[in-house]
Amino acid sequence: MNGGSSAMILTEGVTKVYNPRRPDEVVAVAGVSLHIGGGEAVALVGPSGSGKTSLLSLIGCMSRPTSGRVVVDGRDVAKLSEGVLTGVRRRYFGFIFQQYYLIPDLSAVENVLLPLYPTGMRFSEMDGRAGEALARLGMAHARHRKVRQLSGGEQQRVAVARALVNDPPIVVADEPTAHLDRKRSEELLDQLQELGRSGKTVIIATHDPLVYEHRLIDRVVSIRDGRVENGHAS
Amino acid sequence: MIVKKHVLFLILTTIEITVLLGLVVQFKSESRRKTTALIPQERAIVRTLELTDLALWTEARYTRHPSQADFFAPFQDGPSSFDLFPAGSVVPAPRWLAAREASDP
Amino acid sequence: MMRRRLKILEYAISSLWRRRYKNLAIIVVFALTISILGSILLLTQSLRFEATEILKDAPDVVVQRLTAGRQDLVPIELAESIAEIPGVGKVTPRIWGYYFDVISGANYTLMGIDESTRPDMELLEGTLPTAAATCAIGAGVGRSRGVGLGDELILVDSRNVGVAFEVVGLFRSESEILTNDLVVFRDRDLIQFFNFPPGFATDISVQVYNKNEVETVASKIKRDHPETRPITRSEILRTYAAVFNWRSGMSLIVFFAALIAFCILAWDKATGISAEEKREIGILKAVGWETSDVLELKFWEGLVISITSFLIGLIVAFVHVFFFGASFLAPILRGWSVLFPHFRLLPHIDLYQLFVMGFLTVVPYIASTVIPSWKAAITDPEEVIRS
Repeated sequence: MNGGSSAMILTEGVTKVYNPRRPDEVVAVAGVSLHIGGGEAVALVGPSGSGKTSLLSLIGCMSRPTSGRVVVDGRDVAKLSEGVLTGVRRRYFGFIFQQYYLIPDLSAVENVLLPLYPTGMRFSEMDGRAGEALARLGMAHARHRKVRQLSGGEQQRVAVARALVNDPPIVVADEPTAHLDRKRSEELLDQLQELGRSGKTVIIATHDPLVYEHRLIDRVVSIRDGRVENGHAS
Repeated sequence: MIVKKHVLFLILTTIEITVLLGLVVQFKSESRRKTTALIPQERAIVRTLELTDLALWTEARYTRHPSQADFFAPFQDGPSSFDLFPAGSVVPAPRWLAAREASDP
Repeated sequence: MMRRRLKILEYAISSLWRRRYKNLAIIVVFALTISILGSILLLTQSLRFEATEILKDAPDVVVQRLTAGRQDLVPIELAESIAEIPGVGKVTPRIWGYYFDVISGANYTLMGIDESTRPDMELLEGTLPTAAATCAIGAGVGRSRGVGLGDELILVDSRNVGVAFEVVGLFRSESEILTNDLVVFRDRDLIQFFNFPPGFATDISVQVYNKNEVETVASKIKRDHPETRPITRSEILRTYAAVFNWRSGMSLIVFFAALIAFCILAWDKATGISAEEKREIGILKAVGWETSDVLELKFWEGLVISITSFLIGLIVAFVHVFFFGASFLAPILRGWSVLFPHFRLLPHIDLYQLFVMGFLTVVPYIASTVIPSWKAAITDPEEVIRS
């Protein structure tokens, strides 16, 4: 999959309601319409609880909207079966979670291999790709160390390597600098900038000015109470 | 070269199945051999001594000769005697007895 | 497709290996349960086969007499009466009974035979008793009293007098299952020993020429002599078929206990997966695993454990029963029996039953691994991770 092609994301009036019709009902995303072009780097900015993580999940096909459309490269994902949706997720997206969501008892390389198991690739090819991804992030030396033995910054890099192992055209990151010091944050942003330069679409949910004021960001979209306030170029 | 775990598992399972099949084959052939040799000799004893039961549980009459026992047999030993375990549990009163009792005039 | 399967299998085994102590413990317990169940199955299959084979030469009909609802001695003239029934061949009053040996604490079965009986029995070392004060004994009797061929066996008769019998015959240990507790005498010696009233026997064995007529003859005997209880050979065989049938007898008890234990295990597993496992499923789905991939993963996890346990358990059962004569089961099975035969079993394997056992253990275990993961597997990854 060529990361440079215009993989476009479109949301139309997308809504996400948790626990609908229950006392603890929460409207996380309320009618958001957004367009993200191929190769663009967009920051979704808003305070905690503004719905940016939920919006990111919808864009990244990690959950389905309650209403509205999410279109990825021309396909309305809300209508897709689970199997096809997973395929879309695997093919188009590399997700970097705020809490990394690594499996602590696995080694760095084993975590990076996870997205590759269901692809039917040969073991040698899988090992090769995972090794490359880790090397690109300077983690080759620690490939066999258990994740629980790695520092926060190292875990972050493993999480990024995992997100990139399938060479996805769209990289999605949720609060990537939340657990990092300034130096590491800047290193990470530089890496994401590299990805942007290679043609990948980058979408970051953040409330860290270090991120949304970085030169890598093409456009900032403000989210508050599940709605887009305004979108502007950075 | 690291051997993948699934390869080890498949090899181990194949070995287990082979051993099991080997045991089955070996015992079946041993059985065939013994059957032709031992069974006729044991039948000769049964025929000569007119035996009716195996000499397994020698605790009580109804466990030693279950085929000859009747419903009353355990009581005959002692109406308040405890059941013998496991023989008393595993040697049921012959089912055909109930049918016989039902059909007798 | 196959490659993908093997990848998921690889991950499944890695996943199990990560929790290896717990999983090895499960395999050990599971395999032990299978080995016990398998041992019982193999033992009962073999015993049933042997019993139904060798007892095919049991008497056609054995006639007992009942008095006041209890088994009583049978008058010998009954034999003459039975002999007149058409189709009946040899009719033999049998002298036999039980003897409790205080020295060994064992019960012996004392049997009398016609002294002119001179069979050629390969499983007998020596001869059957033909002279006065001689006997042939089973291996168990010999062991319990420490006597062998040529030695003296002293038993206390009904007058409380010790009587010495020379052991002229010793049944070989291959026949223990039939002869372990036997002491065979001449009829006359046994009558005197038990102080049988003259003209009485323990019961009567009846030979029927036409085997299809056995039931008819038995009915006739019962009709002509309502105080008797005729027992046919088919009834003898059916008794042993029931004792060693896996749906009843010893098999049922053990099987039932194991089944209950299994249900408890499965229920425990099925009531929910741990938060850690749920999270892991969420992560797998988040990185691109489909529901079917996750369920396949759980299937492999269940299959690896259950198939390994089943095969190991079955191998142990085979070795235990056919190499070691079920020596671990024997102390449990013997109960209070002081004399219990060493099993030199004739291996008889009913593959169908083993297959059924495999099915009833492997399938529920796999189900109890897959089903609890179902909900997490079908949920959108974001929800699983959030929860």
